[in-house]
Amino acid sequence: MDFIIEGIQKAFQLIFSLDREIFSIVLLSLRVSLTAIVLSSLLGIPLGFLITIKKFFGKKLTIILMNTLLAFPTVVVGLMVYSLISRRGPLGVFGLLFTPTAMVIGQFILAIPIIIALTHSAIQGIDKRVEKTALTLGATKLQSAWAILKEARYAILEAITTAFGRVIAEVGAAMMLGGNIKGSTRIMTTAIALETSKGEFGFGIALGIILLFIALVINIFHHYFQSRRV
Amino acid sequence: MLKVKNLKKKYNNKTVLDIDYLGFQESKIYAIVGPNGSGKTTLLNILNLLVKPDKGQIFFRDQEIINNSNSKILEIRRKMTLVDQDPFLFQSTVYSNVAYGLKVRSLSSIVQQNRIKNALEMVGLPGFENRKVDQLSGGEAQRVVIARALVIEPEILFLDEPTASIDQKNIAKVEKIIAKIRRELRTTVIFTTHDLSQAYRLADEVISLLDGKMIKQVQENLLWGEIVKEEDGLKRFKTIGNVKFAIVSEKIGPAYVSIDPTDIILSYEPFQSSARNSFLGKIVKIIEQNNLVKLEIDIGIPLVVIITRESFQDMNFNLGSKVYLTFKASAVKLY
Repeated sequence: MDFIIEGIQKAFQLIFSLDREIFSIVLLSLRVSLTAIVLSSLLGIPLGFLITIKKFFGKKLTIILMNTLLAFPTVVVGLMVYSLISRRGPLGVFGLLFTPTAMVIGQFILAIPIIIALTHSAIQGIDKRVEKTALTLGATKLQSAWAILKEARYAILEAITTAFGRVIAEVGAAMMLGGNIKGSTRIMTTAIALETSKGEFGFGIALGIILLFIALVINIFHHYFQSRRV
Repeated sequence: MLKVKNLKKKYNNKTVLDIDYLGFQESKIYAIVGPNGSGKTTLLNILNLLVKPDKGQIFFRDQEIINNSNSKILEIRRKMTLVDQDPFLFQSTVYSNVAYGLKVRSLSSIVQQNRIKNALEMVGLPGFENRKVDQLSGGEAQRVVIARALVIEPEILFLDEPTASIDQKNIAKVEKIIAKIRRELRTTVIFTTHDLSQAYRLADEVISLLDGKMIKQVQENLLWGEIVKEEDGLKRFKTIGNVKFAIVSEKIGPAYVSIDPTDIILSYEPFQSSARNSFLGKIVKIIEQNNLVKLEIDIGIPLVVIITRESFQDMNFNLGSKVYLTFKASAVKLY
């Protein structure tokens, strides 16, 4: 029992003394996950929108596929990206393996089905009259699409927070693609895994508390967006 | 300023609109009347260039529109606007709703502010700019939607059933606004309605649609109600005011009927005849038109009766006179 209490004490010491190593790990985590989320949003929101409003062959299948990919095991993503960017892989020449970029790629792949699937259901939930209203008021096709996205804004922000919650907490892909190199690719989740196995409970618990805190903040945003939806 | 020629539109192989010619002049009010499914809304959507007809031409100021480039169509579409029957407000403030049409036209914010202020005053909602749309009553929402259309300063304003989904008090307000739009802005207004008396009250010209076709003369005494089978086994038409007519009909259920005002016989005493419909009513309005006199008679619902000037004088009818109306079951025309 003692080691747990000591660990918690140590954890608070580390947090309140603004321990350098801890905070560089937290910052890298945020940087990697935020980059992945921004990129997947830029691609996923328009794709989710188009999948919803366009009629095309295989539309149902695409939607089912996206919903299946919501539960993509992170280690499988890690395996896939690893095989692509390892030295022997087709993208090996770029030397991406064990870099933050590799982790961004992994998290991007994890996030994009979430963004697409949830944007799809967000747009689907929007009143069908929005487009016509915009058009009658003189909007172009593009402007009316923007009006639809704007009406769906809270649901889309929910999609983004959901995806962020998933990637910030994932460990499999980050471990395989980043390699958990101290000062370079060590992020919160991989650090917790390592420090715990080393017996450094204080360090692990400190990161765990911060991760929980981030999850709390995400959830507060998430609930705020949810409450604004009508 | 706007006209259509040989217009045809089909949905699922069913012709919903088939109009040879229809023209609208500047700064006039037009009412399009007809029962549900007669093609009123489809016609408005086509005129507003939101839906393409299968066949036919649309002219705006003598320029053919449909075969133009998209940017040209947009330019003309921006000269008009349509207010839907069940209008939608963006989840935001009144201001940003009314501003929408100005924003998509990239007008400066000073112009926007001024026009929005004027438009809200026009519909009797001054100072409503910062209200959230979910705080508005149904009637207020309807007026915000009209302000949102007016702010564009359209040359043609289409209103689809502007008073169908609001209460009596707001109907009067919306009707006043329509009259005011024409008087102060000289905008051409084209609206659809179920309510024939509203059409005549507001419009310079009434266009009547039935099954997608224009009918020459607007039917007076067009009534909405239900055909019911009574206990005696006979079918009767029951109006909204609960007046029942004998009718010749195969079907039962909701329906439109009209009674030709010249098919109704007036008398002071009830008389024996083969006609199955006879009602006692009171004359509430007398309109003299050349050789004919149009009487509005209240029998629980208003009915219009047209008689010659000679019989009007012979019978010595006055406002408030109690008279019997007699007409045959076959004079009740079913649609």
